[in-house]
Amino acid sequence: MSAAELSIRGLRVGIAHRHGVDEIVRGVDLEVASGEKLGVVGESGSGKTLTMLSVLQLLPSPLAVLGGQVLLDGEDLMHADERRLRAVRGGEVAMVYQDPMSSLNPLLRVGTQIVEALRAHGVPVEAARARTREVLGQVGLPQPERIESSFPHELSGGMLQRVMIAMALSTSPKVLIADEPTTALDVTIQQQILDLVSALQAETSMAVIWVTHDLGVVARLVDRVAVMYAGRVVEQAPTRKLFARPTHPYTAALLASLPGPEIGHRKPLHQIGGTPPDPAHLSPGCPFRARCPYAIGRCAVEEPGLIDRGSGSVAACWREPELWES
Amino acid sequence: MRGSGGEPALSAHELVKHYPGGRNRPAVRALRGVSLDVRAGETYGIVGESGCGKSTLARLLVGLEPPTSGSVEIGGQPVDVGPKVDRRALARRIQLVFQDPFSSLDPRLRVEQALAEVLQVHGLHVERRDARVAELLDMVALGRRFADRYPHELSGGQAQRVAIARALAAEPQVLVLDEPTSALDVSVRAEIMNLLVRIQDELGLSYLFISHDLSMVRHISDDIAVMYLGLVVEAGRFDQVLDSPLHPYTRALADAVPVPDPEVEEARRDSSAPTAHSVFVEPAQGCPYSPRCPLVEPICREIAPVLLGTGDGHVVSCHVASRDFGAKLSA
Repeated sequence: MSAAELSIRGLRVGIAHRHGVDEIVRGVDLEVASGEKLGVVGESGSGKTLTMLSVLQLLPSPLAVLGGQVLLDGEDLMHADERRLRAVRGGEVAMVYQDPMSSLNPLLRVGTQIVEALRAHGVPVEAARARTREVLGQVGLPQPERIESSFPHELSGGMLQRVMIAMALSTSPKVLIADEPTTALDVTIQQQILDLVSALQAETSMAVIWVTHDLGVVARLVDRVAVMYAGRVVEQAPTRKLFARPTHPYTAALLASLPGPEIGHRKPLHQIGGTPPDPAHLSPGCPFRARCPYAIGRCAVEEPGLIDRGSGSVAACWREPELWES
Repeated sequence: MRGSGGEPALSAHELVKHYPGGRNRPAVRALRGVSLDVRAGETYGIVGESGCGKSTLARLLVGLEPPTSGSVEIGGQPVDVGPKVDRRALARRIQLVFQDPFSSLDPRLRVEQALAEVLQVHGLHVERRDARVAELLDMVALGRRFADRYPHELSGGQAQRVAIARALAAEPQVLVLDEPTSALDVSVRAEIMNLLVRIQDELGLSYLFISHDLSMVRHISDDIAVMYLGLVVEAGRFDQVLDSPLHPYTRALADAVPVPDPEVEEARRDSSAPTAHSVFVEPAQGCPYSPRCPLVEPICREIAPVLLGTGDGHVVSCHVASRDFGAKLSA
């Protein structure tokens, strides 16, 4: 995958204080190629959102990038100046967040905000107006003219999220980063947005990173999945492979915990047990070991890096899946 | 079958809730006549999207708001959920567990205080309050060491266990569970679901389980109702409703939920059934679903359908489904 549009290498994020450093994202490597959809899955506190915010250097203080690289088409964004970053944000790399209400200015009409964003990227005002109407139509909003002149509070959550996606797409970004964009929405609206992103992506061949905790959304939308746990990627695999043959015990446990036809009605669901550790205060060894049914002596001493498991899968686990039960 | 038959544990009859409009605010008909029977010892699941009235229903049943009209029975006896509701008496019979456990726990009370408070309010176990608190913690599988924690010292799953223990403290017959796992991390949801099933089997409780997560509703529910714009549009045993849905909205809903299986998703993508692709619009007359419905016919825009049975407890309010089903039966 040499044609990586966006590549995150060895990213570390944390809080520096008098007594040292609390590392929360502990060396994350992710890549997404043009025309590819990458899913990033993890529970709250796994570091998935911080990783995405780091790409555009949007971390809230006191969080800071402690090390690593973010390469956009080969250009290191970590060393870009503020002016260049402003051009990248919402330009070549667009982000959509979970809560559209808090990403829009409540005092400005929706259309004005999209036009403003385009103007900030150097689009002349007339062209910006035309483009705004065009993208609002593209995301399937009925009567784009009416939407344009609405204030955010006049629109439903699903419509606002489509406005946010329209705004993100208006500059034809090379990379779209979507952080739980459909979590707060109803399933039928979510379905529309997933269909929409797939269709637009097929047209424009942008790279998409879709952050979610919903494994169903992952199965529906993305080509490849990275699973995060305690500030690291613990497994990465093509979507079908991940679901058919997970190679990290955490992924396997997550999949097993879901209700489904093979679990009987009201029969006990598989529980993972325990709670995720605080990535800033880990003990040595594998961070999943306390919850892992297959842990061996080595897991308590040495944290595994990503190990090749074949067919495009990597997993941070000392044990091959064939040997888990032994 | 766990259900013992006999009187339903909870019955709602034609519950209606209207919120009057005001300046710049249209009137809302949140519930337009919802009836349901929760069988004793069983779980009645309610699915639907935002605005369908499912949370309003929950609030009316536990007396947080009075209905505009309609009545409620618990264990076969009428209960007053009107403006003069005796909340304390009602709380002994039916309890509500909310989606976000942290917003339903007082941040200044330790776990044991939060539980003891309920016992005190209802004058329960006066002589052995501490022992009862310990029992409640055991029931939700929280160790004694959690007794002196504050809510902010708990994880989401632990806090939801406390919220459930608090609901159980009043010894109700019915629990209304409004999206009890939706705010929790995926790895914690299974724990809470297992806990709810176990408690129900142990205590013989009846549940009204409200969620937009069809897989969870399916897992725990015996009966299921699908709500749309303040109405039940389809109801029946869980497998009738979800495996052989009759209402086009139920089908759209089931199709819209992504399944964590890439092969199923791929097959779906290829078959791509017509889906409801527009926003909620409430028609002036006719079937409330008609503006979104892929099967809409002229009659649907004229006359609102009513719930009709198929003979085995499965009911649906849809002109097209009822006609097709009738044709199938007589064929």
